[in-house]
Amino acid sequence: MLDDNRQEVFVAEKAKAESISGGRYLYCVADSGERVDLGKIGLEGKEVYTIPFVDLCAVVHNCPSEPYRSDDNETVKRWVINHEKVMEAAWERFGTVLPLGFDTIIKGEEDISPDENIRKWLEGDYANLKERIDKIRGKAEYGVQVFWDPKFVGDEIARTNEEIKNLNQEIKSKTKGTAYMLKQKLENLLKREMEKKADLCFKDFYARIKKCVDKARVERTRKMDEKKQMLMNLSCLVDKEKSKEAEGFSVRFTGPWPPYSFVAFG
Amino acid sequence: MIDIDADNLKHGVLGLVIALVEIIRDALRIQAFKRMEGGSLREEEVERLGEALMDLDTAIEQIKEEQGVTQSVQSVREGLDNVVDEVLNTMINPERQREKANEKQVVEV
Repeated sequence: MLDDNRQEVFVAEKAKAESISGGRYLYCVADSGERVDLGKIGLEGKEVYTIPFVDLCAVVHNCPSEPYRSDDNETVKRWVINHEKVMEAAWERFGTVLPLGFDTIIKGEEDISPDENIRKWLEGDYANLKERIDKIRGKAEYGVQVFWDPKFVGDEIARTNEEIKNLNQEIKSKTKGTAYMLKQKLENLLKREMEKKADLCFKDFYARIKKCVDKARVERTRKMDEKKQMLMNLSCLVDKEKSKEAEGFSVRFTGPWPPYSFVAFG
Repeated sequence: MIDIDADNLKHGVLGLVIALVEIIRDALRIQAFKRMEGGSLREEEVERLGEALMDLDTAIEQIKEEQGVTQSVQSVREGLDNVVDEVLNTMINPERQREKANEKQVVEV
């Protein structure tokens, strides 16, 4: 049909234009000097391939030289997830990657094609890139989150802490209003003791984890529900994983991921 | 788009009001407690204070139940907690906040 043909021609022309003068969407730099095609796994079904320089390569797809923009949140989400997937595919294929942020695009310049520009960049930054890749080769990032059951821990403290035990006894013998006020005192005490315990546990676990991993980064804890309280949220760079369990605590590991948190990119 | 009608407007405003009442009650509790600990209260004063606060608690719970705003109130308080958290985090760790802001920018495009 005439329309189909025109569509095809349009797509082909666009592809040709992009390959000459458009931009290169950059996913990551990989630990390999191979020139490979990874398939049409890129954003909007673009063909992802590598542009090598010596023993490193940039993993890219051809695109217009403007950043990807959309007002639709769902679209952006889809792109970001796609970006992650390509990164993971590259990680699986090449073993080690230096990830780049979403929407990093390298354009060509007046007399330099975008491919050339990428090669120039790899060449110029070679020592730095190589050093970083050497540092993370064979490593993965793991998320470690430690939770506790606040009720369980609270009960245990109430059972063992002298001051709290005495206060509990005292409350039993008091009248309504006074008992209420003393209960406030009890709650404050309990809260303070729990915070002390949380601090001790954090320091203990952190020290133990630090021994098993290359690097650990403390991240913010998130609010969970009442049964589970997040004590610690770490991003760790490791070769292997280890875990220990204690009653009333639970640990969640996520990973392995390519080491995003440990690669700062300008 | 938020659909506003007379009913859920009342809900929203009531939720906000009760949340504030609870926060003020919490502040009162802390003050009362400090007075008690400070030793400046006689025994019967502690008793009366405790009873008054208990009654306040009961009244608040009753209103929340009758008006069906328990969830609303919780949401408002959680929202306020998050705002305070953000402010504190920015003060304690400005570098981390800047990182997060940059990340957000890239994704929001």
